[in-house]
Amino acid sequence: MTEPIYHSVKINETKCIGCVVCMKACPTKAIRIKQRKARVIAERCIDCGECLRVCPYNAITPLTTQSSDINRFKMKIALPSPVIYSQFGSEVMPYDILNALKDLGFDYAFDEALACEMVSIAIQEYLVRNPLPRPIISSTCPVVVRLIQRLFPGLVSLIIKMEPPREIAAKNLRKELSREYKIPESDLGIFHITPCPAKMVSINRPETMEKSYLDGAISIKEIYNQVMARLKKKEKKFLLHTQSQVSGIGIGWAISGGEIRGIKGDSVVSVSGVYDTIKILGDVESGKIKNIDYLECLICPDGCIGGPLTVENRFLAKSTILSLIRQFGGKNRIDTNYVRQLYEKNFFSFERDIKPKPFPPLDPNKNEAIKKLKKKEKILKNLPGINCGVCGSPDCESFAEDLVRNEQGLTVGRCVFLGESNL
Amino acid sequence: MVSSTLIQRMETEIILNEEFEITGGDFINGGAASCRVKNILKEIGLAPEIIRRVAIASYEAEMNVVMYAKKGIMKLILTSDKIIIKVDDEGPGIPDIELAMQPGYSTATPEIREMGFGAGMGLPNIKKNADIFNINSTVDKGTNLEIIINLNTKND
Repeated sequence: MTEPIYHSVKINETKCIGCVVCMKACPTKAIRIKQRKARVIAERCIDCGECLRVCPYNAITPLTTQSSDINRFKMKIALPSPVIYSQFGSEVMPYDILNALKDLGFDYAFDEALACEMVSIAIQEYLVRNPLPRPIISSTCPVVVRLIQRLFPGLVSLIIKMEPPREIAAKNLRKELSREYKIPESDLGIFHITPCPAKMVSINRPETMEKSYLDGAISIKEIYNQVMARLKKKEKKFLLHTQSQVSGIGIGWAISGGEIRGIKGDSVVSVSGVYDTIKILGDVESGKIKNIDYLECLICPDGCIGGPLTVENRFLAKSTILSLIRQFGGKNRIDTNYVRQLYEKNFFSFERDIKPKPFPPLDPNKNEAIKKLKKKEKILKNLPGINCGVCGSPDCESFAEDLVRNEQGLTVGRCVFLGESNL
Repeated sequence: MVSSTLIQRMETEIILNEEFEITGGDFINGGAASCRVKNILKEIGLAPEIIRRVAIASYEAEMNVVMYAKKGIMKLILTSDKIIIKVDDEGPGIPDIELAMQPGYSTATPEIREMGFGAGMGLPNIKKNADIFNINSTVDKGTNLEIIINLNTKND
């Protein structure tokens, strides 16, 4: 009935010593320490990558595509997130980066920002055609989509029923390139160059379509040194080229607030960071947030430039993006009427709706769940409330919950303050 | 109000009964009680759309106490086939309930409106999300709300 849940991070059993750092950092309390190793509870993980950022032993690895994997395709396409334009300082221009990327073994490197600009126009169209319900929530960040499915399942219907720019760009490229070069679509390998591992989940287990238009996602960290080496070598060589294939409006999507920048009207809000996102979604759930048309939520701090697979300091990266917006952001590269035509043909639409996937309740049986809820409250009253995590659960409340869920071999004696420690 | 015989009948099948205090004028913690209600229902595993309706209705009811009353109690009562939220407050009461139920009607002070509350949609919003909504009020004494949301029992 249930297919195994796929996640974008892997814990290295040899390097992990079972400290509590990742477990404490996890915003959905998805990690436990068992037999001195960190374990992920698959149903609770939303692939935010917080554990990846904080692990002091480098024991958590992102499961992104290796650069060598691209060779299984006849034609290899790089589709970098606009975040990449922020990684090499404000002097390096987007076109130079695209050229350097192409040099790494791709046949072409395309600007995803063009698709961002297209989607901005399509969002505007969606808001006009769907006056209710409100607020509409962005579908761009795959972690936010997972978060809503898991923690705020009652809000899935508010997520905009449109694919994010990376999928739209890949869909467009796949069609156009196969027509232009007369090769089957399956010979094309389109790879996102990504600031976060979560894209791997939306590529390998898409929620809204049968198969993703992307074939993989390569970490910015992985290709950073090679791109840097090429940028240094070729210095001014590409200055003659124009910026005509890059969208300055779309580049803004790399930072928080970029997606809503293109939307007319003032009842649009952008939120970034995992805790602030959880907070605002809780407010939307209670109906506390009213009179807002569009809510952009990005899990990483300051947006995608704050992704765990980026290299550049995110404040410098933000400054670079703002500078690029000032230079190129004034001019539309995309024809609004063309986007409207695509919209009419449902080019942006989900193939299928997002389903709620709530965290498992305390018990599948309602009456049993209530009994366990009361038992949990009783246990919690007797726990010290220090939230040290030594028992292997992130805090006392989670420990009480794990006890009533009958986790194997778990007894209240695990608490170092209550009984003899089993550690 | 529900008749006493009906209450007696319901009491036999009550499977959860929790109480939360609400402090009038406390906008900082306003929303905490309805948030607790929401989280309890999630742990029990009720359907997401039911939880959403409870969340909205209980939040509106809680904020009414915060805005107008001295204090109040929110009760979450769960039976095998419905959720009942009762909110009883000690406050000014509502002189004309029919008028108060009209969308856009509000007696909120300019200060409260400046904080983004008091748009006159609270009671209509509760009614919209409830299957049964009962309201009783005595001027200078307080208001009693009863919000009933039916569970879709075929899934349980």
